Amino acid sequence: MYLARRDLVAAKGRFLLMGTVVALIAMLGVLLAGLATGLVSAGTSGLESLDFTDLAFQPGAESTFARSFLEPATVQQLGAVPGVRAAPLGVSLFNARRNAGTPQEEVVDVALFGTAPTSFLAPRVTSGEPLVDGGPGRIVISKDLAKDGVKVGDTLTVGLDERRLEVTGITEGGTYGHVPVAFTDLTSWQDVTPGARAADGTGLVSSVALQVGGGTDAAAIERTVPGVEVVTKQQSFNGSPGYVAEMSTMMLIRGFLLVISALVVAAFFTVWTVQRRGQIGLLKAMGAGNGYVLRDALGQMLVVLVVATVIGTLLGMGLGSLMPAKAPFSLQATPVVVAGLALVVAGVLGSLAAVRRITSVDPLIALGAQR
Amino acid sequence: MTSPTSPAPTSPAPTSPAPTSPAPTSPAPTTPAPAPHGSAAVDPAPGPALELRGVTVDFADGDQVVHALGGVDLTVVPGELVALIGPSGSGKSSLLAVAGALLRPTSGSVLLDGIEVESMGPRELARVRREHLGFIFQSGGLFPSLTALDQLLLVTDIRGERPSSGEERARALLDELGLAHRTGHRPEQLSGGERQRVAIARALMGRPALLLADEPTASLDRARSEEIVAQLAEETHRHGTATLMVTHDPEGLDHADRVLELVDGRLGGGAGS
Repeated sequence: MYLARRDLVAAKGRFLLMGTVVALIAMLGVLLAGLATGLVSAGTSGLESLDFTDLAFQPGAESTFARSFLEPATVQQLGAVPGVRAAPLGVSLFNARRNAGTPQEEVVDVALFGTAPTSFLAPRVTSGEPLVDGGPGRIVISKDLAKDGVKVGDTLTVGLDERRLEVTGITEGGTYGHVPVAFTDLTSWQDVTPGARAADGTGLVSSVALQVGGGTDAAAIERTVPGVEVVTKQQSFNGSPGYVAEMSTMMLIRGFLLVISALVVAAFFTVWTVQRRGQIGLLKAMGAGNGYVLRDALGQMLVVLVVATVIGTLLGMGLGSLMPAKAPFSLQATPVVVAGLALVVAGVLGSLAAVRRITSVDPLIALGAQR
Repeated sequence: MTSPTSPAPTSPAPTSPAPTSPAPTSPAPTTPAPAPHGSAAVDPAPGPALELRGVTVDFADGDQVVHALGGVDLTVVPGELVALIGPSGSGKSSLLAVAGALLRPTSGSVLLDGIEVESMGPRELARVRREHLGFIFQSGGLFPSLTALDQLLLVTDIRGERPSSGEERARALLDELGLAHRTGHRPEQLSGGERQRVAIARALMGRPALLLADEPTASLDRARSEEIVAQLAEETHRHGTATLMVTHDPEGLDHADRVLELVDGRLGGGAGS
């Protein structure tokens, strides 16, 4: 790195240009990572925050709550499987009217989660009153909904027959399908959700949340309880509206960004290597081996990549912190670090394109007239 | 490039220089000063720094085979400056390339500091160049981003030592060549003569057994050319290094201990030994 370090200083304009391009890509990588994390959170944080390991759906529902209805007997059967705790869960999306019939009436979107107030899915309120057994008509809203102006004491009118639910508490909650979550008891959920009651009036649920302990697994549960399809919590996210499409798009953009990064670095490094061919020949004529010149050249590129990536990442984080609160954007250490590392790895892979050009330089070119 | 064949010296190795015209102006190097060149890794044998025996170099030029060197015998001993002259295409650069372990001969043997190199692989050749040779390239061959001092310390770095460990010697060499006040200057800030003097200092930095100079005065005016060759001769004698200088420039040849002429790949007039 003796020569490489000095080249970095002497040709700083050239490396600055290259570094700026890499830094901008790193910045974009951070913003995309933040956006991807934000989208995941907006799509699934409501489910993520619930304490379960697996979900049981109606077969063929593909983790989509709106396509799945299970009978109460299924909940009992699942709960009877050794090593499994089960809790019914209904999920449906509504346009609710806040304080309907008053001058403050407004429409809010709600992902309504119906569950038994005594189950492990019951929301822990941070303020107000929790859901109670035998007390239908209550609703506990998430903080996200509270940010939209809904507060304890308000009413939310939900469903075709305009059922009024009173806001009694606020919980952490989160969002599902980009819509703030609110919790109500199972009976209320079945009352307002179309199709959640059988013809004989029996209440149905969308799915059953499971806490699966060691010694059993999804396949065993499906064998024991016919008529259900068990998916992991992570797999259940795929049923969130738009989740798969969003993640596929983000993956595609980030993948392309990494490919572009590798190509940019490869192009720069190849041109730089071609321009340095004479110097490489001189080094080899002076006795430097391929290992020496490769260390020098690749080390130089690694320094540019790492420094530019760190700067770009920090700038990206700075820019990300200025994002509007409503934007689906969330900066978390792991995705940001992974994005930075991926960029460095892509750059190193790109720079490998010039390795052959370096090792193939004949030291004979150091002599002014060859042969 | 064709592959080398087994060494087939065409004549016994010469043991003493036989000067051609012009007559050497410096003392004949019959008892050269011992030079502290080489490394502990490869024990240099005492004796000539360069021995070429029956060296031929052929290469393809389209459908034809060009005989760049045709059975060259040459010995250069420590403390001796040998100038190699000849017209373009006479094989000077090929000879320098063979002597510099940059090109394997088609046949014949090459001994650098007593080490047979003609059958070595690229890695071993690089090691020989690193530990036993010094190069002065046309126009200096300096690295644009390095100061004069850094150019010399690069040699230390290539040899796998800490560059700072060579700083004292580097400064001494630059001082010796009148460049003490230019240590922090980059090539673009130096004159042509200064660049060549830095190149000489750099070539001496690794205490080489053999110094190879490729047209060191090519880009200099007459006065500077004379000065550079004189300096090269002085350093050769002072450090006990064997020096082979390829040139087409008649300036400064008086400073050479021997002047050999290469014509059509052959050393003329028995000058090679």
